[in-house]
Amino acid sequence: MRNIKFIICLVVTVGLIYLLENRWVINGNPVPPLGRFLDPFSGFWRNIQPLEARLPGVLNLPGLQENVSISFDSMAIPHIFAKNNMDLYFAQGFITARHRLWQMEFQTHAAAGRVSEITGAGKNDIFLDYDRGQRRLGMVFGAKRALESLAENQEALISVEKYTEGINTYIASLSYKTLPFEYKLLDYRPEPWTVLKCALLLKSMAQTLNLDDKDIEMSNTLKLFGPEVVELLYPDREPIGDPIVDNKDGWTFNNTIPDSIPMALPDDLVKINRLPGRDPTAGSNNWAVSGDKTATGSPILCGDPHLTLSLPSLWYVAQLNAPGISTLGASLPGVPGIIIGCTDSIAWSVTNAQRDVVDWYKISFQDKLHTRYLLDSSWVQTEKIVETFKVRDKSVFYDTVMYTYWGPIPYDDSYRATNNLKHYALRWISHDTSDEFVAYYKLNRANNHAAFQSALDYFSAPAQNFVFASMSGDIAMRIQGKYPIRRPLEGKFLLDGSKTSNGWQQFIPNDQNIMVRNPARGFVSSANQYPVDATYPYYITASNFEAYRNRRINSVLSSADQIVPADMMKLQNDNYNLKAEESLPFFLSVLDTTKFSTAEKEAYRELSKWDYYNNKNSVGASYYEAWWDNLMPMLWDEMRQENVTLTMPTTFNTIRLLKQQPTLGFFDIQQTSEKETAADVIRKAFTFGVEDIESWKEEHASVVVEWGDFKDSYIGHLMRLDPLGVHVKAGGNHDIVNAHGRTKGPSWRMVVSLENTGIKMWGIYPGGQSGNPGSVFYSNMIDRWVNGQYFPMLFMHYAEDGRNRIFYSTQLKKQE
Amino acid sequence: MKFIIQFVAIIFSSHLLAIFTPWYFIALSAFVMGYFLKSNANFLAGFLAIASLWMFNAWLADSSSPVDLADRVAALFSLQNKAMLYALMALVGGLVGGFACLTGSLLKKPAAVSE
Repeated sequence: MRNIKFIICLVVTVGLIYLLENRWVINGNPVPPLGRFLDPFSGFWRNIQPLEARLPGVLNLPGLQENVSISFDSMAIPHIFAKNNMDLYFAQGFITARHRLWQMEFQTHAAAGRVSEITGAGKNDIFLDYDRGQRRLGMVFGAKRALESLAENQEALISVEKYTEGINTYIASLSYKTLPFEYKLLDYRPEPWTVLKCALLLKSMAQTLNLDDKDIEMSNTLKLFGPEVVELLYPDREPIGDPIVDNKDGWTFNNTIPDSIPMALPDDLVKINRLPGRDPTAGSNNWAVSGDKTATGSPILCGDPHLTLSLPSLWYVAQLNAPGISTLGASLPGVPGIIIGCTDSIAWSVTNAQRDVVDWYKISFQDKLHTRYLLDSSWVQTEKIVETFKVRDKSVFYDTVMYTYWGPIPYDDSYRATNNLKHYALRWISHDTSDEFVAYYKLNRANNHAAFQSALDYFSAPAQNFVFASMSGDIAMRIQGKYPIRRPLEGKFLLDGSKTSNGWQQFIPNDQNIMVRNPARGFVSSANQYPVDATYPYYITASNFEAYRNRRINSVLSSADQIVPADMMKLQNDNYNLKAEESLPFFLSVLDTTKFSTAEKEAYRELSKWDYYNNKNSVGASYYEAWWDNLMPMLWDEMRQENVTLTMPTTFNTIRLLKQQPTLGFFDIQQTSEKETAADVIRKAFTFGVEDIESWKEEHASVVVEWGDFKDSYIGHLMRLDPLGVHVKAGGNHDIVNAHGRTKGPSWRMVVSLENTGIKMWGIYPGGQSGNPGSVFYSNMIDRWVNGQYFPMLFMHYAEDGRNRIFYSTQLKKQE
Repeated sequence: MKFIIQFVAIIFSSHLLAIFTPWYFIALSAFVMGYFLKSNANFLAGFLAIASLWMFNAWLADSSSPVDLADRVAALFSLQNKAMLYALMALVGGLVGGFACLTGSLLKKPAAVSE
């Protein structure tokens, strides 16, 4: 009897341990190994970091040539002082991994289409579908091409290799106890880092910024409504605003004139369920003012790139110092060097250039086997690549992706087959070989305008508006990228892929790219608007250009004088809604005030007295935005069709048409029998907008509806784990200089004063240096960021500089 | 008295093992203490020993920082609050400790087997 009892108990004990030592999926929800995860000695409790947690004073590391000194300031920003380049990048990799390893690796998995290895296929195969999309867009293909050209530049190659080695040294030091939180929660381990992963991160940024086009939508519009409607609703250049560079009649180079072969357009009406590309509401600001306009007489440079905000934060701030390099600013975890920042004598920042570098070519296959396709009247072999997906908890999944002369074919009968964008090949600039690693390597060492220019010559994609200022007094803007020379309207529509003559023949030479140095107006600026005056000789198209932020910034900068950094911080946080100024008076004028409900009366009162600032406490802003959000889809209901993918015109063009062509046929709401004009739709949208506000009030048991509450901005965790995200009450919105929408916004705000006595930088970002949700440095900057405050950045000139601001230092010693 | 000695012995040995072994070695220490130090409530001794050892050490880590990771983990597990996470943890460790201790106490002495 006792033996039986013993055996039962033994089985129960062993069974319990087995149960609690393994990960289970219950109703599609993964549960981590509970014993291991909850164990206070090495489970997640070990990821709770006391404030004073620090590295040991001395760390012996294999792989170093000489000793490296790293000082952490009060924000946990590392200031790395090395005696040579190799050690510098090794240390940057090591330290970045220590703070951000899980994020870095997850982002490379996401870029490479390997998320399902960690998460499983997901509900309705959502993660597997995402992964397949990434592979079919040729992300890894593009990253490998980038490495091909990196191999030709020894210095930059070594920087990437040593950075990789530093990360791997950190990974090798990890035990279960010291693993980052998310590895424990999701129950997996980091794999060795590779140089390919560094390249994947740059390609992932390119995907965010330049993988966007409206070729499908424009082709459909052309076929359904004709060329006049394309021009009316989607002009390449809207009649407004200052271009980034206005150099009227000053473009004196001999430009290349493309041939005038008419382009062949396929005859399809296309419906597409798109793969993730660039988000059209994302944008950025940057500008530099010359010394003539500042109180110190030195230039000031500012930048705030707007991206989807997430935790761990997108950026990791660091200072890198070694012979020949002294740079401080925002780095991308997983990429060596500094992406946006300053050296000891220049500063730079970027906004997205928007330009169209994506085309779709229709492939004519010989037969249903798709082994050959037509190209210049001969049949060419299709290259078929089998992609392998090691889906967690499931068997391996295989997917065949076809590659053509133009690039990969993302959509076919086996992937998102409900799309009828089938058998179109993707031509994307980020599949070409490129040298961005070299560009950043040189930019981080630039000390004047000439060096800045020669660094940018290596930069091809994603095309950016690079703002520049130097201690010697120069300010400049350069719209750098690799742009195909296009025939008029080329790139706006889907193309026929059976002729190579439909492809990109040549690229705009670097010295013919749009740029300006020390313009007479005393400042340079960009905010994703149209890049250049009408006399620039090359055809320019894009999915959209910005119309409001740029004008607000330029009007403030033109009238400003004796500028101090605080003025620039104020401008970066400016909530003035120019769109509202230009539309609200007109909207209010068409309302019928005699028929208002009580709620509508109140809305009208609030809107009439609103000062057009989307401040977080503003009530008028809530009413205006609710109104606008109802108006757009009602106006452009024609653009939501069952079997054809179309797109709405821009905000600016919509407001222009409402005012100038109020009886435009598109404004009619199709579902109703009456024939609506602009005014009718504006009135209906007002009623719906007020209803939205009223139901919000009811839901939140609130009598007031402040904009910050109504907008409910959210900084989510990278894996969309809700409890790890943060809700903030903040002002701003898209189309406003402080472009903080619900989930997107200024991901890094930087102001640099290039004074002769030494460069000064102020910066802030919505998050913190640590990627660990158990660290105070995970989200410690968010409140200041919401309130428009900045941290003065410490720029150390030597390893013992700024002692009073250093929290602690660590020596990385070479292992003997 | 036997119960208290067993309870304390499991706590000490488990804590020691935890420094250099994976979590499930708590079962080993509870088993051994069940075998050598039998009480009249072996399961309870094992359960309470591990539960309190884990609760105390979790609380130490939790109170070392102003960051409420435990609250967030509770929310990730769809638990209403941190107290429930502590309870879940105590249950996980306690069950393993309790059953291991009980198993140890049920193992016959080798001497008895040979006779």
